[in-house]
Amino acid sequence: MKRGVMWISAGPCLVLAVGSAWWTVGALAGNGLWPPDEVTLSEAVATRNNAEAVRLIEKGANPNQPGDVRDGLLTNGYAVTVKPIEAAVGAQRADSLRMLLDNGASIDQEELTVLRCLEQARHDSGVSELLAAQSTSAVDCAGVGSPLERVR
Amino acid sequence: MPRMVGTALRSPATTLAIVLAALITIPLADSLYRIPIQVSDSLEPIVIAAKYDSAQHLLRDSLTFSPTTFRPLRYLQTRALLAFSQATGLTYHAVFRGLHVILLLMLIALFVAAVRVRNWPDFVAFTVAFPVLIGIHTFLSMLLEAFPVNHFAQVGVCAMGLFVLAQRQSRWFVPIVACLLLALSLSVIESGVMVWVTVICCAAAGLPGINRTTVVATTVVLAGYLLLRHMLGISSPGIGGHGSGFGDRFYSPEELAQRFGAHPLGFMLYNVTGGLASLLFAEPRQGVYSLLAAWRQGQIHPVVLINVISSSATTALLVWYAAARLPRSRSAWSDADRTFVAACMAFIVNAAFNAVYMKDEIMSPAGLFYAVATFVAVRAVIDSPPTRTLAATAFATCVLVTIAALWTFRVVGGQYQLRYHAFTTRNDWVDVLRPDKHDAWPDNPTELAVTQRIRAEAIGRRTTSPSFMPRWADRYWVE
Repeated sequence: MKRGVMWISAGPCLVLAVGSAWWTVGALAGNGLWPPDEVTLSEAVATRNNAEAVRLIEKGANPNQPGDVRDGLLTNGYAVTVKPIEAAVGAQRADSLRMLLDNGASIDQEELTVLRCLEQARHDSGVSELLAAQSTSAVDCAGVGSPLERVR
Repeated sequence: MPRMVGTALRSPATTLAIVLAALITIPLADSLYRIPIQVSDSLEPIVIAAKYDSAQHLLRDSLTFSPTTFRPLRYLQTRALLAFSQATGLTYHAVFRGLHVILLLMLIALFVAAVRVRNWPDFVAFTVAFPVLIGIHTFLSMLLEAFPVNHFAQVGVCAMGLFVLAQRQSRWFVPIVACLLLALSLSVIESGVMVWVTVICCAAAGLPGINRTTVVATTVVLAGYLLLRHMLGISSPGIGGHGSGFGDRFYSPEELAQRFGAHPLGFMLYNVTGGLASLLFAEPRQGVYSLLAAWRQGQIHPVVLINVISSSATTALLVWYAAARLPRSRSAWSDADRTFVAACMAFIVNAAFNAVYMKDEIMSPAGLFYAVATFVAVRAVIDSPPTRTLAATAFATCVLVTIAALWTFRVVGGQYQLRYHAFTTRNDWVDVLRPDKHDAWPDNPTELAVTQRIRAEAIGRRTTSPSFMPRWADRYWVE
């Protein structure tokens, strides 16, 4: 094979090496390839990142405090500000909901109605079971707004 | 050793190959280090190793932990790392995950030593073979291994170390080193037999570093190991010890025992051929033919196609080399031919280890040898006569570029999967020591303290959520 032609074969790996160097430099600068997320507690829950949610709570984040959630994580086309438990129900994550309840999140009667109506719209048996444990009475969703519709 | 390094660095191609390998490996090592200590397969042995009052008691009792495995060093290594962590004040994460990274670096270094880049054509062949090494699914599975110490990587290091020794002129210490490497490998996992297989394959191919003494000595060590297992009443796992795939679906251990337990021969043959096919064609995976499932479902993920095409094209290259470039007579073989034959024999024999169940990790040493054989074959393509027609040159170039590009894509996919794994592993720790299940927490204060510490370290290390990674990635990188 002609020497000039053979170098074409090296192209992909050389590109990878350059990309890798860039990732390494970026990582040293705190960024790099797919760096850890900077998220609010609500975003951590919305992205199934329970470990990050636990870390944030252990660092003092309030599990009952509404937080911003970027467009595309829970909603399409707009960002929302929701409580972590609303994010858990919206993301249909029973494990996240349980984790939040274990770590100090509280649900009053009004919030429970909102959550149960949200669950009825999104349907998740695990979430439904956890919410039913809070109250088994029938819920009337007429006139109850979804927290995910609140535009920031 | 310094003289060897000095000699190697005299060639700019060698230097550049080392630089290239380092540049690509650093982010890979970073991603590997980001994975927390796993709950599955790691927490339990660490806790056991921590609870024992002495290494002797741990060693004695560990022999009876399983009726089908004999891995005395597994727990002792873990205990030693715990002691190292205590002595140095390093975190458990730094010690255990750091060792995973060290093993990765050793594997890369040994591969660079095995292919011996000396000139620019070697370097170009290296740029094709190196992505094969770290992009193949068996390599990634090895990196994702959940044991506290990565035993499959240890076996890979020992096998590749021996392979590198075999390529050099025979030295007096080779039999001793070979026996030590074999004993180390066998004492951590049964796949350590691959070290002995490597010795035999290198000897059969006529690599100069392995003499009769090495073959006899390592065979005696292996026989001693088998005898010891027999004396301790340790049997081999049968069908149903692990889940494995058959056709287009995965079966649980119970289902396998029910379906194949009475007549296991056909299933074992399926596993052995499937293990080899998995290496050569990227199908099946864990015994499951995704292509078959995709054909039945009427849709196929791009990742399956990418893996199958890249692996099949590379295998075709190996077949071409064996058929067209390998001299018929062993006496006419060059060093490269012997390296090629030894590597191919090793990965073919490795497939037999899948007899009872198929698992990518089992084929991880084979993946290393596959990459070595690829280097030799690509080097031969580059060396092919320059007088060929333009069409032949264009075809050869297209094949090499396609192979290189697809494997490079797979390497980036490996990075993605490592990050994904770090995310899921970290989240696994949320279910450990759950506040609502306080009754299930360990009673033993040592066990509780160790578990709490590892959990805190795991949760304290931030990872990337797949939600913030490319949405298309799963289809192209995760099988």
